[in-house]
Amino acid sequence: MERAAPTKIALPGPDRAIPVLLLLGLVLLPFLARSNGYVLQVFTHALLLATLALAWNILGAGGLVSLGHAAFFGVGAYSSGILSLRPGLSPWLTIPVGGLFGAGLAVMVGLLCRRLRGAYFALATLAFVEIPRVVTDNWDGLTRGSLGLVGLPGLPALTLGPWRVEIGSSASASYNLVLSYALVVVFLVALLWRSNLGLALQAAREEETAAKAVGIHVDRYRLLSLILSAFLTGTSGAIYVHLTRYTVPGLVYSLHFSAVPVIFAMCGGRFTILGPALAALVLYPVDQFLFHPLLPAGHEFLYGLFLILVVLFMPGGFWGALRRSP
Amino acid sequence: MTLLHLEGLGKQFGEVWALRDLDFALEEGEVVGLVGPNGAGKTTLFNLISGRIKPTTGSIVFAGQDIRALEPHAICHLGIGRTFQSSRPFPRLTVVQNVLVGRVFGKEVRFRPRADDLETARELLEVVGLGHKVDTPAGYLTPSEQRRLDLARALATRPRLLLLDEVAAGFSPVAIKQAVDLVRRVQERGATLFVIDHFLNLSLRVSNRLLALDQGEKVAEGPPPEVMRNREVIRAYLGLRHEDEND
Ligand SMILES: Nc1ncnc2c1ncn2[C@@H]1O[C@H](COP(=O)(O)OP(=O)(O)OP(=O)(O)O)[C@@H](O)[C@H]1O
Ligand SMILES: [Mg+2]
Repeated sequence: MERAAPTKIALPGPDRAIPVLLLLGLVLLPFLARSNGYVLQVFTHALLLATLALAWNILGAGGLVSLGHAAFFGVGAYSSGILSLRPGLSPWLTIPVGGLFGAGLAVMVGLLCRRLRGAYFALATLAFVEIPRVVTDNWDGLTRGSLGLVGLPGLPALTLGPWRVEIGSSASASYNLVLSYALVVVFLVALLWRSNLGLALQAAREEETAAKAVGIHVDRYRLLSLILSAFLTGTSGAIYVHLTRYTVPGLVYSLHFSAVPVIFAMCGGRFTILGPALAALVLYPVDQFLFHPLLPAGHEFLYGLFLILVVLFMPGGFWGALRRSP
Repeated sequence: MTLLHLEGLGKQFGEVWALRDLDFALEEGEVVGLVGPNGAGKTTLFNLISGRIKPTTGSIVFAGQDIRALEPHAICHLGIGRTFQSSRPFPRLTVVQNVLVGRVFGKEVRFRPRADDLETARELLEVVGLGHKVDTPAGYLTPSEQRRLDLARALATRPRLLLLDEVAAGFSPVAIKQAVDLVRRVQERGATLFVIDHFLNLSLRVSNRLLALDQGEKVAEGPPPEVMRNREVIRAYLGLRHEDEND
């Protein structure tokens, strides 16, 4: 339609071939790697990290850098985990509720940090992770504190008449679940950047004073984008916790889950739709298959190295470099 | 009918009064030139009217409504558009997207895109002479093209009152003539214009009235020839201009 045309230019949309090939590879992976559970596990986690990078970049492409997305991830994981244990609700219900808890936390963060920009916003979010982490660590009655949540239910099979879809029972079932979720996230993010809300967020990123002067309620749209980003991040956290089926505070409220989406979004291209996901799907498997065996202790230095290389040589990120456009 | 009414308006930065105790009114449909030397307080007045900064004293009433406490986006929605002295495009957005932003958000919140928005944006770009650059990222435009883009974006918000801050600065004689025509067309469509024009290359030709400021204070207002004959204006303004020519 007409309206898709203008926004496509600023956030370079996918050149058709790359996403189609990528999707084909991802769909076929369980068949190719049938006997190798480890490969599937790595790609399951890579896809989960891809959802985090995409969700993070809703805020990032709007001009704000958060260093504290582990807060939303952890709150989503814990709220879904607790609700599935105590009242014993189905994870199918508690996972989106986990997303809502993440969104609720985002309302608090957004209102408190409304006036902050740039490095100040980044540092505030970095500090903010401590609040839900300390609460989780100390509210033993609810969260079991540092003992963590164990024996969480996995995802039950979906039955539709004679059809039965296994979800949590095998590596390929989990993989397919996370792949489906990642596709939903891609769809939502693409929709956002092609909508007028996406246009407003880009304008506010580019020139905030001018954006306000032409009628954009910048604070409101920024808050909306933070809520959406946190909802998706919380949902990812909830899915993660029902796949691993246990958690402790240090695992989900970790620097890993705060930093990795930032790195992937920067490497993949902050002003692109799919770049952050592409970076997750390349960098995490390379890290696990190549660098982890070579350097078991410091393998994550790869991320640092890549980040430096990308910043120096590919200012538009992987995606920008692939497209070779200015 | 009075469209904009300023009373006792003042703005203090630290010890300095950038604008002091200004009383002024704009009538609907007129073009008023705002003149004065560097640092006279012209841009400060625009920043106050558009809500970018809040006044220290006084009131700003637009179309019968006190807008002193409103935020810039709300003031834009009420019908006040502006350009910036050093233009502020959205550099990574294309030229047509820049204007589209004004069109889509300038009046009310509208998330359902309308098919004619893009068409209107293109038309406005034709009007300011950027029709051939619609798909260029705005950051690649020359400074004078960026000024015209600023203007098209402000027009896209459909303002009742348009504040132009030195739009014609650095324009060639031909471009100035086009700017004069454009201002007249905007006025014919019923808009009211307030035009800052330090170098007097636009306002003397288009203005119904002039307001002259010097060091934050009003020194004269009235028909252009009368204001330009005013001794204080000559001293503050043309005197300074004469010095400029010397160095
Ligand atoms: N944000 C600010 N903080 C401190 N002082 C300011 C600020 N904005 C303006 N001023 C001061 O207020 C006075 C008026 O400035 P203003 O920009 O309104 O002048 P102007 O008439 O637009 O001049 P010019 O022709 O140079 O654009 C100047 O002395 C300026 O230094
Ligand atoms: Mg000025």
